[in-house]
Amino acid sequence: MRKSIIMAAAVAAVAFTAPAYAAEMVFTSWGGTTQDAQKAAWAEKFTAETKTNVLQDGPTDYGKIKAMVESGNVSWDVVDVEGDYAVQAGNKGMLEKLDFSVIDKSKLDPRFVTDYSVGSFYYSFVIGFNADAVGAEGPKTWADLFDTTKFPGKRTFYKWSAPGVIEAALLADGVTPDKLYPLDLDRAFKKLDTIKKDIIWWSGGAQSQQLLASAEAPYGMFWNGRLTALKATGVNVGESWEQNITAADALVVPKSAKNRDLAMKFIALATSAKGQADMATATGYAPINTESGQLMDAALRKTLPDQQAASQVNADMSYWAQHRDEIGERWYAWQAK
Amino acid sequence: MSIITSTTRFAQEPVRRRRPSGFAYIAPALLLLILFFVVPIASLLMRSVLEPSPGIGNYVELFGSLTYVRIFANTFLVSALVTVLSVVIGFPVAWLLAIIPNRWGSILFAIILLSMWTNLLARTYAWMVLLQRTGVINKTLISLGVIDQPLVMVNNLIGVTIGMTYIMLPFIILPLRGVIKGIEPGILQAAALCGATKWQSLWRVLIPLALPGIASSALMVFVMSLGYFVTPALLGGTANMMVAEMIAQFVQSLVNWGMGGAAALVLLVATLLLYALQLRLFGIGRIGQEGQ
Repeated sequence: MRKSIIMAAAVAAVAFTAPAYAAEMVFTSWGGTTQDAQKAAWAEKFTAETKTNVLQDGPTDYGKIKAMVESGNVSWDVVDVEGDYAVQAGNKGMLEKLDFSVIDKSKLDPRFVTDYSVGSFYYSFVIGFNADAVGAEGPKTWADLFDTTKFPGKRTFYKWSAPGVIEAALLADGVTPDKLYPLDLDRAFKKLDTIKKDIIWWSGGAQSQQLLASAEAPYGMFWNGRLTALKATGVNVGESWEQNITAADALVVPKSAKNRDLAMKFIALATSAKGQADMATATGYAPINTESGQLMDAALRKTLPDQQAASQVNADMSYWAQHRDEIGERWYAWQAK
Repeated sequence: MSIITSTTRFAQEPVRRRRPSGFAYIAPALLLLILFFVVPIASLLMRSVLEPSPGIGNYVELFGSLTYVRIFANTFLVSALVTVLSVVIGFPVAWLLAIIPNRWGSILFAIILLSMWTNLLARTYAWMVLLQRTGVINKTLISLGVIDQPLVMVNNLIGVTIGMTYIMLPFIILPLRGVIKGIEPGILQAAALCGATKWQSLWRVLIPLALPGIASSALMVFVMSLGYFVTPALLGGTANMMVAEMIAQFVQSLVNWGMGGAAALVLLVATLLLYALQLRLFGIGRIGQEGQ
């Protein structure tokens, strides 16, 4: 309801200034600092270049995408979604095929390109700890993070069913990265059982930062960009990139989006070397355009996930896309137990 | 001629003549309600028996799974706890509001309203800051030497109960204040004159008179608690999940609207049953009525 009022106000505001814009479209993402960065790096530049006003909406909601596509009334043109959802939704016919005559995919990291989606930005799940609370010697590996004798107390993990925590549990249990898939769910949940009572779940980035900064959970698994942002505020954060688990958000166009052509142009700009470099600079997440690195500050670039390739584990998005529903059901049932 | 006819008709059937015009007034609202409330709910509920395949499979899964049944049980437990605590804490405050002089009363009233108008998320996060292990309450208690180990008051049942009770209190206090204000002070004086102690006039006069008001506001809090989402999600652990969060997961994350619809229907039926019970016990005329 509130969102629709905001949308109505936004539409009214646009109507007032209509002569300045040739067209408008809607970009939807997760809100917070990430969407702010996307707005600055992509939407505002797109408006300047094409005279298209880009309305911001959010947060991303898969239920809403389904409702829009089913009812044939699609008000979102470009949506930032999780990588595994993008693959699954593409296969289920919920998305428009991307127009690669408009979007130049030759420079994009092929790990994050499908017929229906391209990477939005890529992140790693890394180990973080509050160095003021636990000292400089925090957990280094996933096995450390699952070791309550060595590191007693609470630890925080991502609450939702998505690539990350299950992989971390299996790595902690000694599975080698090349043997991760297909995921051995029984083994993963058994390992998670050993620390279940010590887990505080975070459901959003801001909450993960709050838990770490207050030392309510002095260790945990975080999106690397959130640790970067937390360090910038002066919190004494230690981190380990050992077996950092990468996954990516993706940009997609829902089936029958009203402004399909504009959406393709928007994605072209967002995935351009410059668009990705600006986004990475603002967030600490990595660009998916292989030429963005040259446009960025060298010192900053070293802190991004794409520079940690040696110790990196790639979450398998197509595996997740195939098993998303069954993993999800087991995941939530296990959590609620 | 026409005047005579209409007056005669008016005299003969006053009720029937007024009814259509009353309906005409509420028709737009009713239409809106049907379009934007009844139809969407009905279509969601239809999905519960149509998706992924027609039949009652979703309900079988919902009641057959220990996890889901436990989530429903937990939802009722939390709601009951919150309701009882809200009444126990809210009643004295409502009484105080009803009897203290106007100036202090309006200050207290303003405090309650302000807390109610503050953003829900901000209030929930504030409780997190107060209750967590490294939070204000624990730090104070430790520095005073009351405890050595921090109390665990968040990410569990305690956190959810405290947070939700706080949020529900105004919904008990405000209606009850009206109910208590509506009780004729002379009745309490009469009780005293007849020799009742303060305690007796509370238990045997004031509370029985306020009982319909207590019951209806308690029911409102209970029903609101059943569908509560933000506070349990943030202050509770995953073991204290409530139905609303489960429905959100089905709809948003798992995109399984069949199960989401089934869970929603069970919640809706439970709520309607509670209303029916309330009606049987206290009758429709007395719900929301501000005292006698």
